[in-house]
Amino acid sequence: MTTLTRQDLNFGQVVADILCEFLEVAIHLILYVREVYPSGIFQKKKKYNVPVQMSCHPGLNQYIQDTLHCIKPLIEKNDAEKVVVVIMDKEHHPVERFVFEISQPPVVSISAETLLSHVEQLLRAFILKISVCDAVLNNNPPGCSFTVLVHTREAATRNMEKVQVIKDFPWIVADEQEVQMKESRLIPLKSMTSDIVKVSLKLWKVLTRPVLCVLLNYLVVSYSNTSAFFVHLSQMQLYVEERAQKT
Amino acid sequence: MSENAKNISFCSLPDQLSCLLERTEKLLKPFTCRSPPAFSPWFPISTAAHRLPIRPAKPAPVITSGDFLADDPKSNKDPLFMDRDASPIRRSWSVFTQRRVLLQNPQSLSRQFDHMVSVHGLHLRQRAKWVITQDNCGDIEKVWRSLSRSVQSSRLPTCNANIQRERAEIWVFCDLLYSEQVGRHLKDELKLVGRVSLSVHKLGNIFSM
Repeated sequence: MTTLTRQDLNFGQVVADILCEFLEVAIHLILYVREVYPSGIFQKKKKYNVPVQMSCHPGLNQYIQDTLHCIKPLIEKNDAEKVVVVIMDKEHHPVERFVFEISQPPVVSISAETLLSHVEQLLRAFILKISVCDAVLNNNPPGCSFTVLVHTREAATRNMEKVQVIKDFPWIVADEQEVQMKESRLIPLKSMTSDIVKVSLKLWKVLTRPVLCVLLNYLVVSYSNTSAFFVHLSQMQLYVEERAQKT
Repeated sequence: MSENAKNISFCSLPDQLSCLLERTEKLLKPFTCRSPPAFSPWFPISTAAHRLPIRPAKPAPVITSGDFLADDPKSNKDPLFMDRDASPIRRSWSVFTQRRVLLQNPQSLSRQFDHMVSVHGLHLRQRAKWVITQDNCGDIEKVWRSLSRSVQSSRLPTCNANIQRERAEIWVFCDLLYSEQVGRHLKDELKLVGRVSLSVHKLGNIFSM
């Protein structure tokens, strides 16, 4: 095994290339699976040796490519902490957040696991998870849109210059409203560890009002005793967390 | 004796009762509470917790399914390609919508086509490409419009079509299994002249009609 720093062989660029390629496929697939766009604009293609759905719409493809082109320098310099695909309802409130957490080791150890084929094998698992994640989710409201948020390791304003690589594609600091999600549940989807990069994908899904109301009504009716109510509530929370971890 | 008790003793009985009630009500009133001021930390807040992410200023394009299905060939403006800036772009691709119709059984392959498939060792689910050039038709845009209608109305099974305007060509992709049927449809329905060629990846042209 050989140990190298990030500067050797320009590992940052290699990781950025691999991740941006992966994120492009993942974003297309998320938009297809969560029905943000009509299924007619997607075409089945093969990536990482598995079938994936990719958009054929030139406007959408360009938008995704421009976004990733701007993110790439941040990933290259290890400045991007999270890349989040946010699905928003008509009122631009987030309903789902697919959070890709990225971390790169400062020192890279070269082994058989560094091979691109091995990394791609790990990334394939993410694609497979995304393609089946709709099984544990309820449908999104009609008229949803999406955006991509990038959480940086330093203050966003310091990284503004790095992302402004395309003239007609400016970046801004997101509103608090686009970031905050009240009454949501966490579903860890997948995580991978390789020599060159660690990625984990978590899904935050907002709890819909009817589900919450039904749950609370049931508990209030069932328990006149307040302490029993809270005991049951905490038990349910533990159960939901356990289920989320299993899935 | 307290002052309150003195007051009560000087009153008549009904007055005493009302006084008592009044006093009891006053006593039962909740204590006035001072609402605490909102907490403002005196120490520097961790920037990591309050750091907001960045996002593209431009919103993602909006494409609705209604726009996708409603294709009016007479209209110059294609709503499918209208983004929020409302700039119409000419459609350059068309996709077979399998959801609206079940795939029919493919027509049997001709002996010549079958022989060609076995010679090259091709798989019938392999994709193949028909190429319509300017020589096959007078107005390639007109042919493209009628072809788009055929593809979207699911008359051309497994087909995706693409117009290459800079090359003045139309590429029609389909499964090899349906390619002969698609080729016949293209020649008859679109009234193409001359020969159209079928190609597959790596081998190039393998068949013409």
